Amino acid sequence: MILTVTLNPTLDKFYWVDELPLSLDKPEEAVLIRSDRSLTSAGGKGINVSTLLSCYGVETVALGFLAGHTGQIILQDLLARGVTANFVWMPGENRTNVTVIAKGREFHPLLIHEEGPPVSEEAMGIFLRKYERMLRRAEYVVLGGSLPPGCPPDCYRTLVQRAHRAGVRVIVHAGGEALVQTIAEGPFLVKPDVREELRLGDLPVSSLDEIVRAGRRVIEQGGQACLISHHITGDILVTRDGVWELEARVSLAAFKNLVGADDALVGGLLAALVRGHPLVEAARYGMAAALAATAVEEKLCLDTGVIERELDHVTVRRQGEG
Amino acid sequence: MKVREFMRRDLTSVDLDTTVSHAIYLIHESGLASLPVLDEEGRVVGVISERDLIRAALPGYVDMLQSVAFLPSLDQLSRKLREIGGKPVSEFMSREVVAARPDDNDLQVADLMIRRGLKQLPVLDDQKRLLGMVRRIDLLHRLRG
Repeated sequence: MILTVTLNPTLDKFYWVDELPLSLDKPEEAVLIRSDRSLTSAGGKGINVSTLLSCYGVETVALGFLAGHTGQIILQDLLARGVTANFVWMPGENRTNVTVIAKGREFHPLLIHEEGPPVSEEAMGIFLRKYERMLRRAEYVVLGGSLPPGCPPDCYRTLVQRAHRAGVRVIVHAGGEALVQTIAEGPFLVKPDVREELRLGDLPVSSLDEIVRAGRRVIEQGGQACLISHHITGDILVTRDGVWELEARVSLAAFKNLVGADDALVGGLLAALVRGHPLVEAARYGMAAALAATAVEEKLCLDTGVIERELDHVTVRRQGEG
Repeated sequence: MKVREFMRRDLTSVDLDTTVSHAIYLIHESGLASLPVLDEEGRVVGVISERDLIRAALPGYVDMLQSVAFLPSLDQLSRKLREIGGKPVSEFMSREVVAARPDDNDLQVADLMIRRGLKQLPVLDDQKRLLGMVRRIDLLHRLRG
């Protein structure tokens, strides 16, 4: 079973519009943007990974915090998608993240992300008890996304320690200080979220060389593997055994929605790992799932047949080999 | 159809030491009529239901008479709920766990619910760990087609 942790779940709301005004900075005017299509789904990195795994028939349990009416909608959506949910209910209201995608600007959507409700010590205590129990059933745990207000920055580090004590492999799919603090604990895989800042710790990760350097630093500090997106169609996998470049040979014109592609990458990778594929091959599966996700308007492509077909477009090359 | 195909994969539950007050909050938020009670190993060792909580908060003779019509108001219930709010659910839960297995079929489960007058059942594996819930409404919804 694969356990996913989403401490700050979200209701993802997508709007498609013909165009966005060039500037929203006109205080004297209200800006009305009409949308002819919208989609709503449960979200947050761990939740998205569970949703993808569920379509592969992989047993998965999503853990985290739910609050308010938004929490009810998130739960109903997850249950409808066949994901097993084991959440802590708390006062407040889960966040809603809005994405506005304008025609021809699919790579640069307008994003509005709420902060999410604060997590009390009491709620965190209940969560940790659930987490410890579920670890006994788990093979892998995914720690995904941002920390909610009130969560200490070493929260993920604590969760990695507890998972390791239970003999469970950990994938950290997050960003910033929360991720950096887990590296010394030796997680199985680190997948940094570099959307807000192209940095991993104090190292930049813009160019291929920078990514490889940052990935090697993760390995030196204890991480077993590091997977970093290079550009839209490329990923770099760094392990103790070497560096692999994954490349997708597809037309960028086919991309419709990039939100969720990173989570599809981790979900596809895990689905392949539990089927017995080695890590490098699993990363190729992950990239296929990510490509499939970008080619549909929904956040994730849940058609495993389509994902399998995308595999043909993904190549892997070990650095240093021709 | 097998239970695993239509059960609600919601593992909302409480621990033996969860307070009555928190259990009421959780039943309200989750929309479930009862919650499985887990021990430290994660095994379901009881169920706390709306009925158990009402029974705990009312005088024993009310349960016997099956009516609250003769009570002057529900103030007594409210006062009693506040009194027991900090107590653990283990004091009030039903220790007999009527449960379904994931490979039971829908007819078996419907029969069990009707015979025992239950709104929902936990679904357990061989080690008594919670896998999900079957609610009466889930069965009705499915049978509606």
